[in-house]
Amino acid sequence: MAPGLAGYIVRRLLWAIPVLFAISVIVFYMLRLAPGDPVDTLLGQRYQEEEAALIRKKYGYDRPIHVQYVKYMQNLLRGDLGISTRHQNFTVSEIILPKIWVSARLGFIALVISFFLGIAAGIYAALARGTFLDPLTISFWLAIDAVPIFVAIPFLQWLFAVRLDLVGLGWQGFTSANIILPILVLSLPGTAGIARFVRASVISVMKEDYVRTARAKGLPERIVVIRHIARNALLPLITIIGLSLPGVAGGSLIVEQLFGIPGIGAESFEAVLAPDFDVILALVLFGSVLFVLANILIDILYAVIDPRIRLGTQRG
Amino acid sequence: MSTAIAADPLAIEARAAASPRRRFFRQLLRKKLAMLAIVYLAIFYTCGIFAPLIAPHDPYEQNLVPGATRQGPSSEHWLGTDALGRDLASRVIYAARTTVVFTVVVLISGSLVLGLGLGLLAGYRGGWVDTLIMRVGEVLAGLPTLLLMLAITAAFRTRINDVAFWLQDNTFLGSDARTFVKFSIIVFATVPFAWIGTSRIVRSQALAIREETYVLAAEAMGASSWRIITRHILPGVLPLFVVGVSAGMAGTAGAEVTLSFLGLGIDPPTASFGSLIAAGAGPQTFERYPHLLLAPAIPVTLFFFAWNLLGDALVDLLEPRTQAVR
Repeated sequence: MAPGLAGYIVRRLLWAIPVLFAISVIVFYMLRLAPGDPVDTLLGQRYQEEEAALIRKKYGYDRPIHVQYVKYMQNLLRGDLGISTRHQNFTVSEIILPKIWVSARLGFIALVISFFLGIAAGIYAALARGTFLDPLTISFWLAIDAVPIFVAIPFLQWLFAVRLDLVGLGWQGFTSANIILPILVLSLPGTAGIARFVRASVISVMKEDYVRTARAKGLPERIVVIRHIARNALLPLITIIGLSLPGVAGGSLIVEQLFGIPGIGAESFEAVLAPDFDVILALVLFGSVLFVLANILIDILYAVIDPRIRLGTQRG
Repeated sequence: MSTAIAADPLAIEARAAASPRRRFFRQLLRKKLAMLAIVYLAIFYTCGIFAPLIAPHDPYEQNLVPGATRQGPSSEHWLGTDALGRDLASRVIYAARTTVVFTVVVLISGSLVLGLGLGLLAGYRGGWVDTLIMRVGEVLAGLPTLLLMLAITAAFRTRINDVAFWLQDNTFLGSDARTFVKFSIIVFATVPFAWIGTSRIVRSQALAIREETYVLAAEAMGASSWRIITRHILPGVLPLFVVGVSAGMAGTAGAEVTLSFLGLGIDPPTASFGSLIAAGAGPQTFERYPHLLLAPAIPVTLFFFAWNLLGDALVDLLEPRTQAVR
């Protein structure tokens, strides 16, 4: 392992602890102190006070909030996320884990497509620099990115399901052709960002001396592009993958809602509307942990690429 | 990293002669797409600000006579009418007003006051102030924004009516009280997350400028912190600030549209692109009444696109080295 890298990773991971602690405290207090009594969700507006007291005792809502927090964290460390207030026969983990699995698989497929398109478009735009094809390519993807997802979905549903009758609208799992539309709207918007990043990276690599050398020794253009430009220009892209990870497992609320996909996005919307406190809490914490870990991953990848960072010297 | 050295020394001299600001505007003018974007944004913001003067009809006036609802475009109603017979063109113009007000409020409170202010403070002061601001930002950035916005708006939903009625009776707001309350909630749900990106950009730039000789000279001459920040650091930070803000603008406006689409933001009868789109969304509705979706969707998509194009052009012009990821 490179010098200083292990120490850097340990420092970075240790720093995640106070960040996650602060996030969990903020989220916990916010949800517990928010207007709206969880008892209302369970019993409706009219109920006997004794009944309400029993419920409060069962969920621990009768105790001071810091006691509730400590209890929640103790349970969390044992893998117990509490009980859903909507579906009282299920624990929170039983509800969210299968949905995370659905969203994660969908997100992964979309991410792969997004990166494939983005890399191709970015390299193409960079090589076409100076002609109108470069701004045209980038603007095309920016335009796709600008279409709000809830505009694109009804339009695509109309075109492919109602008009052309190629696919159905309901969710029928990963093997059905119905999955094409959700994958499309999940993968296309992210492409613009990747294409721009790749384009910038390729352009800066094209100016390097070793590319000129490769051309000067008469290598075919195809080899120069693939071996000398693309390989070096795509290295920084691994950091973007890290940045996309939370989105992959976090699911897309609107896509899942409009296509009826039983994923984590649709679940979070229902949980918020209910409101189902322990499910919301678990989802927000899950999202935060994912985000913080992804950021650490990015920093570590940067440190692997650029030794100045881990050695604590000033960045240029 | 090798730096590209321009071959022609005369060209460098000629470029140095023009003031940076004039050079910036000349280069911007040369970018045709960016100019188109600016023109569109100007029209959009004008429509929003002067909505009552521009809208051809009252956007709230219903017409439930059979045949008057969900009309297609006509000379009387340019973009047709909605399910309650209201003039869609006027509602779109008023929706632009919602977007304009929202983006300006978030721009001022989130980007300008919090983003620029905290970024300058962190970058110039350094030490524990810097650590505190950046750590708070890191914690906030670690939260899943949309989910939390949902949770905040949903949590306050039960109290909206109480607060709205109180405001209606006790303040000058009158019948606008409900819209005001809903508006405040989405601003409250957006601003805590809107400043982080901007302040990071501003901070790193301020950190670099603080070490410049002219800042040290000003300090040695006894200039106050306020003077140093406003006269020496701010001008150097502004270009990057503009890049950051314009690149993030589509996202900011998108937050309100998304929340309203989900029924948690601005709700009818006040017009918002989110709720207008929600009314026209659905493949069956689109089959029969395409104008219900297209009328609000096209202007708002062009609005996002224009900000994206402008942000992209400004990144190219003002900061060629670092490239925005999104």
